[in-house]
Amino acid sequence: MARVLNAALGVLIALALGALIMLAQGYDPLASYAALFQFSLGSPYALATTFKNAVPLVLTGLSAAIAFASGPVNLGQPGQLLMGALAATIAGLYLDLPPLVMIPTLALLAMAAGALWSGLAALLRQAFGMSEFIVTLMLNIVADYFTLWAITYPFKDAAAYSPMTPPIATSGWLPEFGDWNSAVFWMLAATALMWFLLARTRPGYEWRIGGQNSLFARLGGCPVDRNFILVMLLTGALAGLAGGLLIMGGPHRFLRGLGANYAWDGVMIAIVANNSLPGVLAYGLFFAAIQTGALGMELITAVPSEIVLVLQGALVLVIVASREALHQLADRLAARRQAQRRAKQAPFLESVEQP
Amino acid sequence: MSTQRAEAQVADRSVQLAPPLIQMQGIVKVYPPNVLALDDATVSFADGEIHALVGENGAGKSTLMKVLYGLVHHDRGEIRYRGRPVRFRSPGEAIAAGIGMVHQEILLINEYTVWENIVLGAEPVDRLGRIDRKRARGEVQAIIDRFHFALDPDAIVADISVAARQKVEILKLLYRDVSVLILDEPTAVLTPQEIPQLFAELRELRNEGHTILFISHRLEEVLELAERVTVLRKGRVVATLPAAQTTRSELAALMVGREVLFSSRRTPQAPGDVVFAVEGLRYEDEHGRVRLKDVHLQVRAGELVGVAGVEGNGQLELVNAITGLLQPTAGTLRVAGVDLTHAPILERRRYIAYVPQDRGRMGGSLAASVVENAIMTHHRLNPRLTRWKGLLLDRKAAHRFTDALAQRFNVSMPARAAPLRALSGGNQQKVILGRELLLECPFILLDQPTRGLDVGSIEYVHDQMLAMRRAGRGLLMISANLEEIFLLADRIVVLHRGEIVADLPVEQATVEQIGRYMLEGKA
Repeated sequence: MARVLNAALGVLIALALGALIMLAQGYDPLASYAALFQFSLGSPYALATTFKNAVPLVLTGLSAAIAFASGPVNLGQPGQLLMGALAATIAGLYLDLPPLVMIPTLALLAMAAGALWSGLAALLRQAFGMSEFIVTLMLNIVADYFTLWAITYPFKDAAAYSPMTPPIATSGWLPEFGDWNSAVFWMLAATALMWFLLARTRPGYEWRIGGQNSLFARLGGCPVDRNFILVMLLTGALAGLAGGLLIMGGPHRFLRGLGANYAWDGVMIAIVANNSLPGVLAYGLFFAAIQTGALGMELITAVPSEIVLVLQGALVLVIVASREALHQLADRLAARRQAQRRAKQAPFLESVEQP
Repeated sequence: MSTQRAEAQVADRSVQLAPPLIQMQGIVKVYPPNVLALDDATVSFADGEIHALVGENGAGKSTLMKVLYGLVHHDRGEIRYRGRPVRFRSPGEAIAAGIGMVHQEILLINEYTVWENIVLGAEPVDRLGRIDRKRARGEVQAIIDRFHFALDPDAIVADISVAARQKVEILKLLYRDVSVLILDEPTAVLTPQEIPQLFAELRELRNEGHTILFISHRLEEVLELAERVTVLRKGRVVATLPAAQTTRSELAALMVGREVLFSSRRTPQAPGDVVFAVEGLRYEDEHGRVRLKDVHLQVRAGELVGVAGVEGNGQLELVNAITGLLQPTAGTLRVAGVDLTHAPILERRRYIAYVPQDRGRMGGSLAASVVENAIMTHHRLNPRLTRWKGLLLDRKAAHRFTDALAQRFNVSMPARAAPLRALSGGNQQKVILGRELLLECPFILLDQPTRGLDVGSIEYVHDQMLAMRRAGRGLLMISANLEEIFLLADRIVVLHRGEIVADLPVEQATVEQIGRYMLEGKA
């Protein structure tokens, strides 16, 4: 309940801040927001687009949230996403199977590539004690240039003028149902499955407890080292899947700059959601909505779509700050109550030592 | 000697040497959310004295000094300094008023010279705002000479000894014209040979008119250096005594607690077979220091063995070697006849129940629900808590298990799903104790099982331990509280510098004797 209140408050304050900035620059905030939500939620097509755009945000958000909740600081979602996208693309260029086999195959390969990339970091941590925090960040850069090289040289579309691959076989394209791309189904299924894994299974329980207090989990008999590797592989696979679905559901080819900031937004979403998986879905959809509506808003009201970045930033700051502030306030009130109780029990003027 | 009598005599003997420089009256400090660190503490310090603060770990010595220094803010109470009420909002304000503190950890810039570290933050500048290096170095040299500190101002801090670094910390405060120096366990980082030098320097400072307040738990040093000694216990000041008129054993008694009963609560019972045995246990840490030295220890079924010792004499290493957090350098561990020397933790937990000393760090996860804390370890060992070959948690079974635990161990909780942190300390400990006792292990390891609990909860924990003893389990309890050991144990062993220096039936032991073993390693 407090969480929903916190979220609603954060959204309102962020929108109010955005409105102030627009006012200061002479735009009409009400008309802008109307356009923003008209183009993200106002029609069945807009809504379906918002959901489709939420797919990479939510999947990388799940990846970050599961990692952070379980202990490993996997910040390699951008690289894992790119490696997943590249694996799906390459397989899609050379394989052509019936769609019912092709789509799961590409998805699995994307997940395997993401898991490989995060597994590398897990391995370096286990073998040499290297912090996964740094290694995953560094591997992002490696993945960035490796994929750029791959689409510039070996897999480049000969007919294209900028680095990109040819389109993958149509059997690997995710089917669309009216306005709705089936990537949305993958996103919802992944969220439900991950929630079940974390909340209802023994590994999920051990991961969460290990993330909260690793020493307690270890003393309780949980295999914390193995769990670390499993979580790294799983979260890498989720980010890899985000990349695969991006190819299979969208442009059907690997373009330069693919993925852009999706994965970093995912990390941000995990932080805003405080690692709650339903929270990741909700905030992922909200972020997708304002990102999707921004273009429409720019067309109608001339407010630059970058204002959405301001909204996102304000939202993150307000929600995280107010969450911490609420905690601290509650703790301080409890401490003050106890101090008052002690003072009543033993009035300090009649103290032990009298000079 | 009963401590009450000691307290009654306090007022007679506590003759003020001079009008108090600092008066702290009724100081209450609660660390959020509910740790009561100072409970109505009242003390005064005279101008130009060396005043020691002693007390057990957690008695509130450091917190009291941090309150004075403005590093921690008290919730209630009043501080008067030179007759005026003060409330420092930061250490900077305290230093400006002439009160400075040297912490246990030394905080210097290793790459800078001694004089650079000393002036850092208060550098003398010339008219152009540049640091006047010549003047700064000269001022530092003058202070070193004035107080006869043997220190080279141009030495690089990285190259000098810990004792010398501590002098730099003290000089930093003297450079800022501090007249009241607070030192938090200044001798803890020093070798025995370095201590007389520090004491001589502190006396020199006192002769120059400085007031020195120092925290220590080494009673012999306290009596050697200080003029007056204040004893804290559980956040309260229980006595302030002139050092010349007290003894180590009186101070120890005041530190440990009032009305030391020392009458056993056990009923006689013949112990059974050996359930727990370590032999030749040795542990060297990564720096090659010997932390455990040839430890032999046995616990029989139906027997409770208490481990006494000053904190830091190998208790932590012994516990970790038993639970499997550290691998001993040599020696064996057998529980119920099973060799567990190299067993993984989960395997050990079939035989060893473990109640750790730190509830929030090792005993449980404060953020997790009561249920999630209650089923730990059981979720791996009790097949009824899981389904599908252990892959799925059976939520209903977990709820039933938690309810049964709560009922049997009188846990009062807002809800099963409430986070552990929402429970009082006593109830948190009941959840942990209940979880461990329900494992039905033949051997139970308890590390300070009543630390930080209120009287009612302590009694409850003691009752449960005695019930386990009657049920024929072997219990090993590490405790910093001698009273507790005399109350419950059949046998007392004393750890001193990683060695077991005494192993006595409780009937043959006296508090004074155990105290000497703890402090000196011999009777």
